[in-house]
Amino acid sequence: MKKLICTLLAGSILAATFAGCGTDNNSSSPTNTKKATITGQIYPITRESGSGTRSAFSELFEVVDNDGNDAITETAESTSSTSVMMTTVAGNDYSIGYVSLGSLSDDVKAVKIDGTKCTVDNVKSGTYKISRPFNICYIDGKLSKTADDFRSYILSTEGQSIIEEEGYIPMENTKAYKSSGVSGKITLAGSTSVAPVMDKLKDAYEKVNSGVTIEIQESGSSAGIQSATEGAVDIGMSSRELSDDEAKALKSEQIALDGIAVIVNKNNSIDNLTSESVKSIYLGETTDWSEIEQ
Amino acid sequence: MKVKENLMKYIFLLCACISILAVVIICLFIFVNGVPAIGEVGIVKFIFGTHWKPSSNEFGIFPMIVASIYVTAGAIIIGVPIGLLTAIYLAMYCPVKVYKIVKPLINLLASVPSVVYGFFCLVVVVPVIQNLTHTSGKGILTTSILLGIMILPTIISTAESSIRAVPSMYYEGALALGATKERSIMKTVVPAAKSGIMSGVILSVGRAIGETMAVVMVAGNQAIMPNSITSGVRTLTSNIVMEMGYATGMHRDALIGTAVVLFVFILLINICFSLVVRKKEK
Repeated sequence: MKKLICTLLAGSILAATFAGCGTDNNSSSPTNTKKATITGQIYPITRESGSGTRSAFSELFEVVDNDGNDAITETAESTSSTSVMMTTVAGNDYSIGYVSLGSLSDDVKAVKIDGTKCTVDNVKSGTYKISRPFNICYIDGKLSKTADDFRSYILSTEGQSIIEEEGYIPMENTKAYKSSGVSGKITLAGSTSVAPVMDKLKDAYEKVNSGVTIEIQESGSSAGIQSATEGAVDIGMSSRELSDDEAKALKSEQIALDGIAVIVNKNNSIDNLTSESVKSIYLGETTDWSEIEQ
Repeated sequence: MKVKENLMKYIFLLCACISILAVVIICLFIFVNGVPAIGEVGIVKFIFGTHWKPSSNEFGIFPMIVASIYVTAGAIIIGVPIGLLTAIYLAMYCPVKVYKIVKPLINLLASVPSVVYGFFCLVVVVPVIQNLTHTSGKGILTTSILLGIMILPTIISTAESSIRAVPSMYYEGALALGATKERSIMKTVVPAAKSGIMSGVILSVGRAIGETMAVVMVAGNQAIMPNSITSGVRTLTSNIVMEMGYATGMHRDALIGTAVVLFVFILLINICFSLVVRKKEK
């Protein structure tokens, strides 16, 4: 008798679990079809303060207070990773967020800003204004031979083609790379946005120069620049321009250009946002999708 | 023989010293770096300030303190009843065959990495809460559910072992007086195991307040005072982990200051724990 009850209980729990999954899927499907125009509270999602992507975003959309400080509304949900940003926007019909163009995927919809789509071509031609440089920085003249060789690889035709494959905008007028047979160890540190593409560059470079090992630390732009200034690493990676103070100690070189895409849920009917509306959403002034003029 | 024994004694001593040294160094590091920062902001302004805006030099962690307390309380409300009843079932009702399946599964629950919990919650629980409450789905409620599940293994194993440790004559005595099985358990066995259960609860408070990676994913992380059970919050731990990578200067020191506050919380919890345990020994 007891056994029977146990089995029944376990069975019903399992059944309830699966049923739960089922209804969940069903309840989300009607939202796919309806919603000619979206109304409802906006859930803006932002990156954590100090992130290179966030500072570039707030600067480019002028989401700043009178002193020029970042003024993204405190009610915006914040996350410290691009993947959580994507998952959240993909799962919430009413959310809005922003990611680097290179990490954009089909799970979310990138909206046009002032009528311009966020694509590699538009960033390159300058019609899509929301872009930022990827930089490497190092102490001028103190770069080791090995590190200098890697630097020239990044800026070579081969290196830049990898950057383009990853969805970033490469530099122009590049030269072919010629291996100089160096060996040794290079360490890089800095921006978490630059790190993924740097990782790809590293793999390709190590294939050509088997004697070189490269170590990449993801610590954020500011921390990376600081490590490079202190000489703790060979090269710092930054997803923003160096400040005047930082530029005194270091030489920086742009290695690519990255667009910042503003993303919304795929069920969102909005395809186009003005930069003014993005600004007012992130300032916390616009809080409902119905207030957005398309 | 004697030499070998002496040698081993010193090796044991050395090992013990390493962990003590670690604790002392961590304490020193946190307090030496954090306390001056708190002093600079002003202790009242730091602890009771409601605005956290590192870019404009405002460092108030009151929203985070409140958030940490709320989600921990929520976890206890959700986790303790489920955990306690599970423990009673395992100790008093469960047939051996079922026990052999359930117990290892609960142990498995304890060893799931917290990031996995967080991701599970982000993909499964968040959409459900979103549909039910028509909010963003991230916030106190979701975090409480997540932490409630995460503390289950701790509560279940401590409560189960303390229920098992109650002498069987208590239970048999109650039965002999004519009480039903359920009544004997709830009125005699569970009260007798109270202090063991309490220490389990306190341990899980420690786990819930210190949990980081999973919480960061589902709490929403807004550094504002929560105004409802579904509003997004940022706990002390998530504040540190989110911004530490980038922070420099005063911002960084303020984060270490946050760690000081967290550390004080953990200390208080540990003191409570040892008080309860000591009471039990008496």
